[in-house]
Amino acid sequence: MPLDTSTYHLSLLRLDGRRWNELRRLHAQISTQASADGSSYLEMGNTKIICTVSGPAEIRGGGRREGVERDNAVVNVEVGVAGFSGMDRKRRRGDKRTTEMQNTIASAFTSTLFTHLYPHSTISINLHILSQDGSLLAVCLNAATLALIDAGVPMKDYIVACTSGLTPPASTLGGSRGGNSETSDPLLDLNGMEEQELPFLTGAGGTVGGDVGGGGGWV
Amino acid sequence: MPREAEPSINERAFVLQALEENIRLDGRALDAFRDIDISFGDDYGVADVQLGKTRVLTRISASIAAPYPDRKFDGVFTIATELSPLASPAFEVGRQSDLETHLSRILETTLRRSQAISTESLCLVAGQKVWSLRADIHILSHCGNLVTAASLATLAALRQYRIPDTSIKGGELTVYTPLERDPVPLALLHHPLCITLNYFENGEKMIVDATLQEQQCSEGEVVVAANPQGEVCLVQKGGGGEVDALVLLRAVDVAVGKVRELGKVVDRALEKDSKMRDKGGISAELSAENER
Repeated sequence: MPLDTSTYHLSLLRLDGRRWNELRRLHAQISTQASADGSSYLEMGNTKIICTVSGPAEIRGGGRREGVERDNAVVNVEVGVAGFSGMDRKRRRGDKRTTEMQNTIASAFTSTLFTHLYPHSTISINLHILSQDGSLLAVCLNAATLALIDAGVPMKDYIVACTSGLTPPASTLGGSRGGNSETSDPLLDLNGMEEQELPFLTGAGGTVGGDVGGGGGWV
Repeated sequence: MPREAEPSINERAFVLQALEENIRLDGRALDAFRDIDISFGDDYGVADVQLGKTRVLTRISASIAAPYPDRKFDGVFTIATELSPLASPAFEVGRQSDLETHLSRILETTLRRSQAISTESLCLVAGQKVWSLRADIHILSHCGNLVTAASLATLAALRQYRIPDTSIKGGELTVYTPLERDPVPLALLHHPLCITLNYFENGEKMIVDATLQEQQCSEGEVVVAANPQGEVCLVQKGGGGEVDALVLLRAVDVAVGKVRELGKVVDRALEKDSKMRDKGGISAELSAENER
């Protein structure tokens, strides 16, 4: 969309030139990895993720997950963060944030996929974060949905997610802005920089029904 | 991998049917908490919270450490949760369970990301020495609603904790013992608490402070963290049955009311504790009068 700033107050634009309700550029591909049962590549602005899905397949590792319910398929999620994905090279494997994201994605899909059709099996979702610039959880969920569709796993609904944030109230910022309100303004699809500064919430939901999962936010 | 015993089909049906008639098995109202008991240890920074049969103990400790090189002005604040087999046979030693990650991440977001505890106030000498504050959360008994119990215990412990006083003269750092100078309270900017709401019937019915059994029968849970001023710090609903977005708004509304209620309970417990510790200060100590 061409940005006509003549009718739109410049100070209402965000750091990357978007308006409050504009998403970043979405680029999605499906079936990118020939060897996987299902795969997708999703770019949302500068956040880039490859997702591969394998399964439903027999549970690997024999009795390793013994005691886990067998009547439904188990959804396994693994998130790998590439060393070159962020500004600093950090080892993120086993990190609590990554683990939490894995759990959130797994539980979101466990309730949406028809897991009861595949007893004694696993559906594993592997997410590879190639580049991170905010909205990680949302992009991961979207990429996983695409890959699961590609793999042909039956589901009752597509899970789609997006982040939303709130700007601090104008009064706390000091100088005058174009905005007229004392209250804070909503923002859609935060990038990395905005995410560090603002309270945000990741919302995920089905396209038909109501909400499926929510994320974390802070004051 | 051991796991929690699930309620039988009959038990589940019984709980659900009772809830349909707005009755909980322990006779509480849908939005009522179990009895809350907050007690403090002899040392500063130990809080023991009992929420019905759930029991959580938090201990705060501080040591001096070097800051992270990329955060020279920030102290370190870590939260460690321990789910020992003592609390439930389903917990294993030495393995990070999902519940543990869930618990510590929620507390971390609630306390650190919301800047309830300002890590900047823990800085002593920029780039060299900072306080490393640690909250060890021990789950002693698991009977549902661990999140609220743990957040109550941690907040109470943080508010009661006194950190040794320090001074810097000519670039030299002095840490005073409690005898030399009274330790000082931590700089907490606000007092957030977490409330868990379990929902049934597609979010039509919500209960607070679910017992373990109710938790297992529920369709899912929403965790809301807020402070008594009504500012929301965290809303989390990962998985579980899908609900209408408006249900989340209602959950936040209920939770904020409950946070105010719990905040007062913590206030009262702290007041009682400080009265017990206050023996009249230095004048009482210097006085020659005694009971004999």
